Amino acid sequence: MIAITREDFDPGTYIQAAIDSKVGGIVSFTGVVRDDGITAIELEAYEEAALEELHAIKDEAMSRFAITSVDILHRIGRLAIGDHIVLIVVGASHRRSAFEACEYIINRIKETVPIWKKEYTNKGMRWVPSEHP
Amino acid sequence: MKVLVRAFAGFRDVMGESTSYDLPDKSDLSTLLSLIASRSEESRALLFDNKGQLRGHIILMVNRKRVSRTVIGTLLLSEGDEVALYPPVAGG
Repeated sequence: MIAITREDFDPGTYIQAAIDSKVGGIVSFTGVVRDDGITAIELEAYEEAALEELHAIKDEAMSRFAITSVDILHRIGRLAIGDHIVLIVVGASHRRSAFEACEYIINRIKETVPIWKKEYTNKGMRWVPSEHP
Repeated sequence: MKVLVRAFAGFRDVMGESTSYDLPDKSDLSTLLSLIASRSEESRALLFDNKGQLRGHIILMVNRKRVSRTVIGTLLLSEGDEVALYPPVAGG
């Protein structure tokens, strides 16, 4: 599944669903809201473009690595400390491809997918700067 | 012709989320950017540096495809096009 969602998700459900007779390993990455002295974050997306970009990243990963499945879920809206932000689940016959593809996908998301984070603190709010300015 | 401009993150704070602009037929992207900048000093400062150059970090999309700044002066817009402007992304 590829989705931008306002709803929470259960990583375990997607990990379990990636099991297949050809799959020997599943690597997942779950991004969560870290307490950097904040009270909450708000995620905003250019939803239609972000969804297209996530599909493109999945296609890139499927062609570059020997993997069998990719799921990417990215939340938007207001989130609290500890909430899930993003989930990537990669299934593969062998672990190396799954690890490499999972890291590739999160790096590509941070580079290109039009999603932004606003942090709220007791002093106000700020847009989180990009890692790829 | 009418073109829809959508802005996101810090750009939305300045330019508003979604604005329709009226342009002469066959206008290019640079004409649209100049029109947006003419609406407020804040918008101008957001888009252009003090030499009138489009700021380097701005990302542009036309109909959900990224466009290079090298084509701003030649890319002709059409009725109903959706142009998006936004700062570098920070998801994940």
